[in-house]
Parts: sequence; C-alpha cells; structure tokens
Amino acid sequence: MYALIIDDSRAMRSILRRIVTDLGFETLEAGDGQEALDHLEAGRIPTLCLIDWNMPVMDGYTFITRVRANPEWRDITLMMVTTESEHGQIVRALAAGAHEYVIKPFTPDAIADKLEMLGLVAKPVPA
Amino acid sequence: MSTVVEPSLTDVQMVVEEVWTSFLGAEDPLLPMAPGTLEVGWSAAVTVSGEWQGAVSVELPRSMAEEITRRMLDLDDEVEEVGDDDVADAVGELVNMIGGNVKSLMPGPSALSLPVVAAGRVARASDVVEACRLDASWAGAPLLVSVHVRHPEMG
Repeated sequence: MYALIIDDSRAMRSILRRIVTDLGFETLEAGDGQEALDHLEAGRIPTLCLIDWNMPVMDGYTFITRVRANPEWRDITLMMVTTESEHGQIVRALAAGAHEYVIKPFTPDAIADKLEMLGLVAKPVPA
Repeated sequence: MSTVVEPSLTDVQMVVEEVWTSFLGAEDPLLPMAPGTLEVGWSAAVTVSGEWQGAVSVELPRSMAEEITRRMLDLDDEVEEVGDDDVADAVGELVNMIGGNVKSLMPGPSALSLPVVAAGRVARASDVVEACRLDASWAGAPLLVSVHVRHPEMG
C-alpha cells in the first residue's frame, strides 16, 4: 500500500513520511503537483495521496482536478494536508474530489484518525 | 477612513504555540519574553493578499533554525549535519504554517504566498506597519514572530 506525499517542503514530507510509514504505508514523494502527476503517468499509482495546496509549478488543487479528470485514477484516495483553512477553500477542494482535509499544524493522531475514517488503516485493538 | 483588522497578540501566540508543539514537541515549551536583542541568523516571511493584506515573519538565531531543522527532519544530532537548503526549507515551512493560520483568523477570502526565506533578515515591503509582535524564547534562545498589515492609506 503506497502513499504519495506531495509537498514542496522536504521537512513536511519527512514528517508525513514518518507518520504514514508507522501506519503501514510505503511512500513515494513529489515536490509539486506536476511531479506527482509524473509518478501517476509512469504507472506508480498510490492508494493515497497527501497533498499540500500551495506549491510551485502545480498547486494541490490543480493536481486534484487533474487526477479526478482521469477515470483510471478514480480509486486513489486524495487528502489535502495544508495551511489553507478558509471554509471556501475546504469546500472547493472537497467539491473537486478530495476525500478529506487536514489543516497544518496537525498531530500524527489526526492523520491516523482521518485514514481510519477512510478505511485505509485499522483501528488498533486495545491491549 | 477605512478600518484595518489586526490579529491580537493572544491569537498569534496561540497559533505559534500550536505549530511549535505539533512539530517540535512539548518538551521545550515556547515562552513569552520581553523584547530583547536577537541576532537574526535566519528569517522567513509569507504575505497574504486579498480581503486582508499583510505579512507574517519569523526571525531566529542560526542555532535555533538548525535545531528546528534537525527535529523536523528527525536527524541525529551527533552524526548528521544540516545544510543551508534544509534550514531554509524548514524555516519556510514554519512560517507557512504560522502565516496560514494567522490568515484564517482574518477576513477572507485571501491568498497566501509561498514563503520567502533568507539567511539574515528578509526584506519587508515599505507600505506595511507592524500590527503585532511576539517575542518568545525556545530552548533558551530568543525568536520573534511579527505580523505586519498593509494600510490602504499607505498604498
């Protein structure tokens, strides 16, 4: 199960990589939306994309619209992870096809909870 | 005369503390302090344009910027060195998160710029005035977070 982490910050990609690796994902990374599309077009299709909004070259919103325009990629779960927290932008991203929206800063638990709601990770069984 | 909305110091402090705690851990809390001398090693700024117009900047000593980078990249203190590219990236992401959350407290819609990062002090537009400054210390060193707003009368 692969997660594609799309963020122009290496530090943020590193933080997200540690979180989703702990949740059982292998990871791919991209520094902008175009680089992420290059992965998909090369046949590297992840289960999940974690997508920043503000990036150079191609922003996260454009990436979502491009993914949703291709029926072959409809099974990819798209989750925005961004500082953009205006209500209008959240609605716009969800309307474009994002499944979930996480606002930075976040905790590892917040990411895990969202992925659990999406059915991508199992809830830990209490000891 | 138009009214310019400014964030409160309490709001800015809450935002900065949340970013710090989320990404740098709660062991070393961010503590408010009186304004003092800060030898700026790195700084970063984002601008907000739209219904609310302003800029949010962070200024840090070099050692703090490097420690933040180590923590965000999860680098081993003993073994791995941090490069300037990594420091610029980490400090830029820090101001991105602070700026994005300050933006969310202000009237919208508005757009957040990509961060501008400098070794030293970033240049600031001449048509903005300081609306809020948070002097704080982290792990024994000072830092400054400031919010500047653009007044229509100055444009």
